[in-house]
Amino acid sequence: MTKLLEVKNLTMEFGGVVALKEVNLHVSAGEIAALIGPNGAGKTTVFNVVTGYYQPTKGDVSLNSQSMLGLKSHKIARLGLARTFQNIRLFGDMTALENVMTGADARNKVGLIGSIFGTSRSRQDEKLSHSRAAELLNFMGISHRSGQLARNLPYGDQRRLEIARALALEPKVLLLDEPAAGFNPQEKVELGDLIKKIRDAGFAVLLIEHDMSLVMKISDRVSVLDFGQKIAEGTPSEIQSNQKVIDAYLGVVENAS
Amino acid sequence: MSSYKTALSKINLRDSFGTWWENASKRQRVIFRLLMIGFFYALPFLDNPLIGTPETNFQSVLFYPLAVFVAMAVGLNIVVGKSGILDLGYVAFFAIGAYTHAILGTFYGVNLWINIILGSAFAMVAGVILGLPALRLRGDYLAIITLGFGEIVRIVALNLEITGGAAGIAGIPAPPNIFNVTFDVLDPKPHYWLMLTFTMLVVWMYLRLGKRRPGRAWEAIREDEDVAEFMGVETTKYKLWAFVLGGAIGGGAGAIYSSQVASILPDYFTLNVSILVLACVVFGGMGNIWGVIAGAVLLQYLPEKLRFLSETRILIFGLLMVVMMNIRPDGLFPRKKREKVYDKVTGQEISR
Amino acid sequence: MDFSILWSEFFGLTLDGIVVGAIYALVSLGYTLVYGVLRLINFAHSEIFMIGTFTSLGLSIVFGFTGLEEPLGIVLFLFVFLVMALASGVASGMSAVLLEFVAYRRLRRRGANRLSSLISAIGASFFLVELFRLTTESKDWDFPRMLSKDPVFSISTAYFTLDKIIILLGAFGLMFGLDRIINSTRLGRGIRAVSQDEKTAILMGVNVDRVISFTFLIGGVLAGFASTFYMLFYESTKFNVGFLLGISAFTAAVLGGIGNIRGALVGSFVLGLLQQYSSVVLGYNWRDVVTFVILVFVLLFKPTGLFGESIQRARV
Repeated sequence: MTKLLEVKNLTMEFGGVVALKEVNLHVSAGEIAALIGPNGAGKTTVFNVVTGYYQPTKGDVSLNSQSMLGLKSHKIARLGLARTFQNIRLFGDMTALENVMTGADARNKVGLIGSIFGTSRSRQDEKLSHSRAAELLNFMGISHRSGQLARNLPYGDQRRLEIARALALEPKVLLLDEPAAGFNPQEKVELGDLIKKIRDAGFAVLLIEHDMSLVMKISDRVSVLDFGQKIAEGTPSEIQSNQKVIDAYLGVVENAS
Repeated sequence: MSSYKTALSKINLRDSFGTWWENASKRQRVIFRLLMIGFFYALPFLDNPLIGTPETNFQSVLFYPLAVFVAMAVGLNIVVGKSGILDLGYVAFFAIGAYTHAILGTFYGVNLWINIILGSAFAMVAGVILGLPALRLRGDYLAIITLGFGEIVRIVALNLEITGGAAGIAGIPAPPNIFNVTFDVLDPKPHYWLMLTFTMLVVWMYLRLGKRRPGRAWEAIREDEDVAEFMGVETTKYKLWAFVLGGAIGGGAGAIYSSQVASILPDYFTLNVSILVLACVVFGGMGNIWGVIAGAVLLQYLPEKLRFLSETRILIFGLLMVVMMNIRPDGLFPRKKREKVYDKVTGQEISR
Repeated sequence: MDFSILWSEFFGLTLDGIVVGAIYALVSLGYTLVYGVLRLINFAHSEIFMIGTFTSLGLSIVFGFTGLEEPLGIVLFLFVFLVMALASGVASGMSAVLLEFVAYRRLRRRGANRLSSLISAIGASFFLVELFRLTTESKDWDFPRMLSKDPVFSISTAYFTLDKIIILLGAFGLMFGLDRIINSTRLGRGIRAVSQDEKTAILMGVNVDRVISFTFLIGGVLAGFASTFYMLFYESTKFNVGFLLGISAFTAAVLGGIGNIRGALVGSFVLGLLQQYSSVVLGYNWRDVVTFVILVFVLLFKPTGLFGESIQRARV
């Protein structure tokens, strides 16, 4: 399987604190990979480095063999890495449709000048963004929220909206940061199905999650971080029986399965 | 106290109009637009006790402060209202435009039409020079820098010979007659129409941009700049564009202004002006172009109409800004219609 | 650019720069402390200072000083001066607490964004300026001279007059007192805690509202004392005296690294000196431009200042 996203020997230091140490990860086409670990292990930091918010102290991040180091976040987003956030960060005062269109815009070329003069290209782009966004809202099951302000949506729909917005970038790899946080068990099952649906639609997924049953059920491969280092990697069942992982979580893995 | 607040929040002109507009047919909308445009052009002739200003020349007031501040508010709206970039030195762009025409027009005989373009252009250049380094910074720092810039421009104008120093520049020429309409100091009407036309062009441009990708990009930047960047928005480019466009509008307005008043002093371009324009945007409805225009009209017209307000104008504006931020931060005419709000967990509709 | 006066008057300019810097320091502490706990630039702090100046002025009128009498003896003067300074401290302090309550508290509770808070701050500042403009008829108000300004001693061109000595001693005393408060009292610890991490401070039982009010109070009191020193030195005030002084004090805080107390002090003295030197080299007219230019340049190229907070926070 082709490796889409590769993180090699990633080290991230903030002042004296070593947040990540020589972490190696990869996400291959067509898979759902999970990144788990106790709180503070550095999982969100991985996302932040990979999407260009931080420049790593050492190591490399590459997408389709192209290095992402030194690139600005918006460039990385357009090259194929889109993410969601632990505490949902939508554009609150924009409608659901507009939120997703913002992501879809990134795939278009026309900028300011074209927009002022209403060139046919810009009108086409606009229609394209609109239809892509509408499609995605439909795909995520929230078409009925299309004209509503993002901050007024109920929680579950907000999460879905955030994912739709990320998908609008047509990423090669979708990075989901704790998408199940705050969901009840029923919703988590639905979310699991949704993520599989996303994978089946052709997006590779890297998932940070605390809910072990969800992770074990849908992931193809799991990597475990603890104190900034990768301590294990393998299939869900391998990870569940890995002593190092169990120790790191102090029994959480056992309880959840 | 709370019933008074709910009553206040029920005053929603925006929604009642918004609902009408959405249900109106294309024909109705066109007629409405034409009526409004006609009304604004006809205003100078509508001086009567009801609308007119008691102690000052109504036509003069129409130009300054009304048309001038509306134009500036439209410009500043792109920067502050739409994109969330707090600019406290907007008057600098206005001053650059004004002095451009003042200097090039008075001493080098360049006519106003060119100077409007040049004034905008110089303001844009200033916007780029200031914006490129400054826009990297966080909100409060940026605000202070823009304030500093505004003051620097004023103090420089005060001290340089070419800008006439404290005495400013006088004898600024007006453009030659068009269609037998004479532009001069004594008759504000042609300049008013000129400013009105300028503003309408700007609004037209803004509407096109606002509904499309740039508008979304600006709003995304305002809502959450980091996330906008993660969603592929080139934040640096769009912030600079917002800043520069806003500046261009200020510059153009400045050139027209100096042509009408025929003499300018550095004293006309103080921090107060920046704050007054900001008040229009804040009060009117951040990001909502119509709200901003309405806000500018209200804030500039009322003190002229009600003389007692005039002296305490800035006092009230200051108070207004504090009150607005605390009670209705979205402004009088918020961007979007008030909507149904859903309970986050159950998804049930919450009644307001 | 004329450097000759700079060299010939160097010691005198340096002394004046330090005296002015001391006044700036007291005011800049208000900016920096509030910024530390709220991450807000208290635009209206300059007006808090201005209120202090008018309080001192008012007291001088109440006491019946017209400046035409014989200078007071040193002991009597110190007594009168202390009363004025305390009164100004109280007036400014209370104004600051009231300001926080009216203009910022609600916004903070709501978690409003920085833009809203800054606009509210600006509105408050303009309101106060205009209020005083209307009530004081926008004219210069002179402060009577109650103390002889003959130099007590001098070092080269630096003439140490009593007012300068009093200001220096008073300011340093206050800074020392502040240091004690910040480091040795409960509320002072609270200030440091909230400045570093508000959420954890709350978890540790710190009453954030009270800490914030206290921060405004301290800033206000210091500005109040500074205002009396200002009146002693400059002998005049006006409704907009706060603007330039506030910009200078703020620039000083930024220069030192906003949020950093030591930085505010160092920045104040550096700015005071730079202002004095540049005013003779470039001419008095350009002095304010120098301050603005320093402000703009520091913010553009080193927003963290000399001792500043981390770069990450300046960006996000």
